[in-house]
Amino acid sequence: MRLISLGLAALTAGPAFAADETASREFFESRVRPVFARNCSACHSAGNKMAGLDMSTRDGLLKGGQSGAAVIPGKPEDSLIVRLIAHRDEKRKMPMGQAKLDDARIADIARWIQEGAWFPEPVQASAKKKYAITADQRAFWAFQPVRKQEPPVVKNTAWSKTAIDRFLMAKIEARRVVAAKPADKRTLLRRAYYDLTGLPPSAADVEAFERDAAPDAFDKVVDRLLQSPSYGERWARYWLDVARYSDDRLESEVDAPYPNGFRYRDWVIQALNDDMPYDKFVKAQIAGDQMGDSLRYAAGLGFYALRPDTQDDRVDVTGRAFLGLTTGCAQCHDHKFDPIPTTDYYALLGVFTSTKDGEYPLAPEAVVKEYKERQKAVDDKKAQIRDLLHAQATQLSQALALQTARYARAARLVLAPGLPESQRRTLDAVMADGRYDKETLQRWVKYLSDMPKDHPHLKDWTSASFDADAFQERVLAVLAERKSVDEENAYRRAAAKKQKGAAPEVVSLKTDSFYLWRDLFFNDFYGNQFKQEDDGLLYYGPNRGFYESDGTVERLLDGFWKEHLVRLREELASVKARLPAPYPFLHTIEDSGKLKREKVRVSGSDDNLGEEVPRRFLTILSNGEPFAKGSGRAELADAIASPGNPLTARVMLNRIWQYHFGAGIVRTPSDFGFMGDRPSHPELLDYLAARFVESGWSMKAMHREIMLSAAYRAGSERLAANESLDPDNRLFWRSGVRRLDAEALRDSLLAVSGELDFTPGGFASPLSEETNRRRAVYGFVSRRKTDSTLALFDFPNPNATSEKRPLTITPPQQLYFLNGGFVANRAQSLAERSAQGGGAAPERIARLYRLVFGRAPSAEEARLGAVFTLAGPARWAPYAQALLSSNEFLFVN
Amino acid sequence: MTRRDALTRLGTGFGMLGLSNLMAGPASIGEPRAPHFAPRAKHVIFLFLNGGPSQVDTFDPKPELTRFHGKQVPDEFFKTSKVTKDLNHSTLLGSPFTFKKYGQSGIEVSSLFPKTAECIDDICVIRSMHTDLPAHPQAITQMNSGRLIAGFPSMGSWVTYGLGTENRNLPGFIAMCPGTPNVGPELWSSGFLPTSFQGTYVPLDESDPEKMIRHLTNRSMSSADQRKQLDLVAALDRLDMARRGADPNLEGRIQAMETAFRMQTEALDAFDVGREPAAMRARYGVPDRPPETATKIRSATRDGDFARGCLVARRLVERGVRMVQLYFGEDIPWDSHHDILVHRNLARQADRPIAALIQDLKASGLLKETLIVVGGEFGRTPSVETTGRINVQNGRNHNSRGFTYLLAGGGVKGGLAYGATDEFGFAAVEKPVHLHDLHATVLHALGLDHKRLTYRHSGRDYRLTDVAGNVVTDILA
Repeated sequence: MRLISLGLAALTAGPAFAADETASREFFESRVRPVFARNCSACHSAGNKMAGLDMSTRDGLLKGGQSGAAVIPGKPEDSLIVRLIAHRDEKRKMPMGQAKLDDARIADIARWIQEGAWFPEPVQASAKKKYAITADQRAFWAFQPVRKQEPPVVKNTAWSKTAIDRFLMAKIEARRVVAAKPADKRTLLRRAYYDLTGLPPSAADVEAFERDAAPDAFDKVVDRLLQSPSYGERWARYWLDVARYSDDRLESEVDAPYPNGFRYRDWVIQALNDDMPYDKFVKAQIAGDQMGDSLRYAAGLGFYALRPDTQDDRVDVTGRAFLGLTTGCAQCHDHKFDPIPTTDYYALLGVFTSTKDGEYPLAPEAVVKEYKERQKAVDDKKAQIRDLLHAQATQLSQALALQTARYARAARLVLAPGLPESQRRTLDAVMADGRYDKETLQRWVKYLSDMPKDHPHLKDWTSASFDADAFQERVLAVLAERKSVDEENAYRRAAAKKQKGAAPEVVSLKTDSFYLWRDLFFNDFYGNQFKQEDDGLLYYGPNRGFYESDGTVERLLDGFWKEHLVRLREELASVKARLPAPYPFLHTIEDSGKLKREKVRVSGSDDNLGEEVPRRFLTILSNGEPFAKGSGRAELADAIASPGNPLTARVMLNRIWQYHFGAGIVRTPSDFGFMGDRPSHPELLDYLAARFVESGWSMKAMHREIMLSAAYRAGSERLAANESLDPDNRLFWRSGVRRLDAEALRDSLLAVSGELDFTPGGFASPLSEETNRRRAVYGFVSRRKTDSTLALFDFPNPNATSEKRPLTITPPQQLYFLNGGFVANRAQSLAERSAQGGGAAPERIARLYRLVFGRAPSAEEARLGAVFTLAGPARWAPYAQALLSSNEFLFVN
Repeated sequence: MTRRDALTRLGTGFGMLGLSNLMAGPASIGEPRAPHFAPRAKHVIFLFLNGGPSQVDTFDPKPELTRFHGKQVPDEFFKTSKVTKDLNHSTLLGSPFTFKKYGQSGIEVSSLFPKTAECIDDICVIRSMHTDLPAHPQAITQMNSGRLIAGFPSMGSWVTYGLGTENRNLPGFIAMCPGTPNVGPELWSSGFLPTSFQGTYVPLDESDPEKMIRHLTNRSMSSADQRKQLDLVAALDRLDMARRGADPNLEGRIQAMETAFRMQTEALDAFDVGREPAAMRARYGVPDRPPETATKIRSATRDGDFARGCLVARRLVERGVRMVQLYFGEDIPWDSHHDILVHRNLARQADRPIAALIQDLKASGLLKETLIVVGGEFGRTPSVETTGRINVQNGRNHNSRGFTYLLAGGGVKGGLAYGATDEFGFAAVEKPVHLHDLHATVLHALGLDHKRLTYRHSGRDYRLTDVAGNVVTDILA
């Protein structure tokens, strides 16, 4: 009741409301629609009427949903929508799952209803089904331009050191939450070190900082750490999560399909250490080959060149990584929530299908030329072998089909269905009767003995009346049928291609024929699906896609053909031997000679093509002009890395914030759309985004600004009074207790044991090698099998872009500390390190504390250590291991 | 004084701070907790056939489908059916498998599941399941957590949150898969519940327990020495928490460390199917040596991996593990778009171990207190798939509007076929069971009221079934 009267009070106190439509429209568009768009439309729109309610039209609101009219014009008190948003109904509080709307917003809605609930007439779409971005969608917060914000005035000026703090404090005060006290210096230093370098401070660093009483002592630390090469190694890894960076692919015939992939990783590290402006950083990854100094920027193209192979994710990753938009959702249908029509997806896809993978050689032209010539010789030889095997295999399947009856009869002799065991003949005995190929006969025997009882053609193979000749006729017929089906489909697809947009009706074998064809003439043409089936693979058709073949064909080659094959293989070996060491190059993409305009795939189906779309940027973020230069990548890059783009700076800024505070201002960093989170501090996000652009897109400037805030320096104490008001710390009133991520943990273990190898850059080698003591960012990242320790500690799956790491705490992780060889070895080294310089147990314990925690032990800790190590010298390594396994080591405040 | 008491008395336990969201429920997995009412079951084994097995080829016979094989859906169908959308041009595909009546109940099962069929009198076949979206990631996520999007606690987390564990030497919630199912670790995440309720993942493409759970044994230290070492760690952690203040992460890790220590003895045994007699392994279809696979193929399943999972699941519930979530294979193996015959090989790998698991638990009496749930994220269309990149028209597309689930043990009626799809198997029409209803029923069998099993997060009480779910009381024994 109180809230609503408050709303009406505001109404009566406000200026008289003009009844003309212009004012109504203005009020609705500026005060009502944004509230609906932000809080209601995701669930109550024409396309998604939860509880039957459509809030996109006046009729929808008047009609209401399951609970009756949502709005009764002129009667805000009686309107259900007001009851629910004012939380007057205990059971139904709207917006669901979100904080209650500000009183001012509720008052606006009430006023709007009081004034008659003016709502614009629905736009009549002229063309049927023509996609139109709604006014609600345009009004969504993320698409509004970044507005430069002035920090609000706050009461607690003592706490608020910087502009950031004032934005935060305003909300902290409004929600009556208490801000945590600042962290102590040691805690703060450790936090800053881990945040910027992923490594712990040394005891000397801690002591120096504690001694430095200057007011800018922390400023100096931040500046120094930002200059450290370790900074790039830490922050590059975050970007590499987003970029789904990997040194391999899931489905590749070679172990290292991206032998130069590490150059992209090194480029990211260097770019961050150089504080490359973020707009350039983005542009380089989209169009680094077109930026002038390509030697400097082209390596960024690894972002696309090193992509996963399971599906084309280039449009999706572009949206999520740079714009925080789930553009990939528009691949099969218009985006269900965000203003991204399918046409936008294919407009962007055209950009990428107008490019091809390329390489940027880092070697003299002559070296490249020679390598390529020799590589071509190898490829040609492989092709000759493949063609030979393919042709032979096709012939072979025909030949074997013509012997179906013979082999079926022979197999029945071995299996002797229905006859006593004594009448069975061995395979060898049957072989002796006639000229059979042993393996083919074995396959037939296995095939028939595994025969399902419901097989459409061979269910009667056991019966005495089984007619092998008739069966062979059937087999030959199926083979012919298959051939005509393939030809017919090839024709239909080609015809459909000419007729724009027509979806070809594909024909196929009749089901029964298909079973038989599959059983006997299985081949790889049909993909991996049939590799499931190992029952009844009888004749291999054309070889299985590998130039080596699986041996089936070769086995049956003789004389001239076999010799020919042997010779070809020898020649292959010889041209391979002459192949020089590969020259270094960058994995890049480049515009292909043939520019493409993609057609919409209706429902994502390649066989159902819709309208053709020119290459251009997203409708919601542009004027829809087609790209004019080549593939359009440079224009795409400019459109994204533009100060006018409302998303780019916000999205990156939010990522930076997330890694400093453990959670973003928007908690879904790669989804700023309707289904994503709403910013807890939209003004702060805009303030920082504007600062980011003003600073020349300097990430280091942003780190500095964030880290020098009081909020960043806050302690992690939990205050009972705050817990019910803000349990998730969305107001950032305290700092969190965060587990080290996989890389920081591994690097720290090596750092404190004195074994960390700081060598920067270069080839990626597996982290599982005990001799690999380099920073984890330099380890081999696999899409096939993630390093088991990285996976144990929540390393993201590099087959898809990743926006944040869950930091789990599980028993198997603790087994790693208790029993893992890596921790045990570090503990051993650490124990040895602590023995250097001699001394009695207390000295050694103190030394260990300095090395591991950068501090002296407390009296109780020293006592515990002394008791534990009293049992003998063999206890030092387990003692060191205990310190490495402690919470103090694993968690940063 | 237990360690937890000690923490509280030292002034660092959560109780002292009145952290509302931690007070609302147990903060950790600890001791078993009383259910809301008398339970029918104490454990759940969820055999998740990821990819979407076809109902009309397994447990939902459709003679009409066979009759109309190769024909378009008849016009009369649209007059009565609610599912007219996207059916216009589809051609019906009769099941290539034959159905037969089994058991006293005479429930029909296809030739794909002959062994499971022999247990049919212990199984409740729900033929009227339906869910919200026919897309793998969303559907798998929803079947595991009740929500279409990531970030919510999985069913196993809710169950362990509600009931705790009976064996503190093993994680209360174990998720197993040969490789990783589609969507991945999010499926056994505890979401906003404390991390101790998160599922512990065990890879089933390994068979050596020391590889299934890495770092399981310590070769250089006796257990007594390691206990002393762990006591030292715990003492240091208490001092640390006194300095930093209580925090669920710090507390969670202390508990995880204790569980890990106890796992060493128990897990080595529990996960080692080699300790089963050879005949027992053979019953499940576990080969003595896992077959070699030359190349890594997505969604390809290897003989014996799922079987080993079922055998391990049995050993885990015997040891008091609350919830075992077993995924059939990497990614989405049951996704037979091209050729429904691929189901034959999948069913061959699934049928024997499912049957053996039911029989074994029945023989030991554990079936009475263990609820076995079998099913995928959705079913498949009765019509043949003709669009997309397929090259052979012998498969079926996704179908979230009607599919089958099996329940066995744990107080559900055996030999019962519940609900029905329409004459072709497109949609649940009789006694439909939404996945929220299934979740509510599973919780109910465990003695938990799905409306009362809540957790306060972000100012709202959340539950597994969101704002939906009705217990299907008709299937409860």
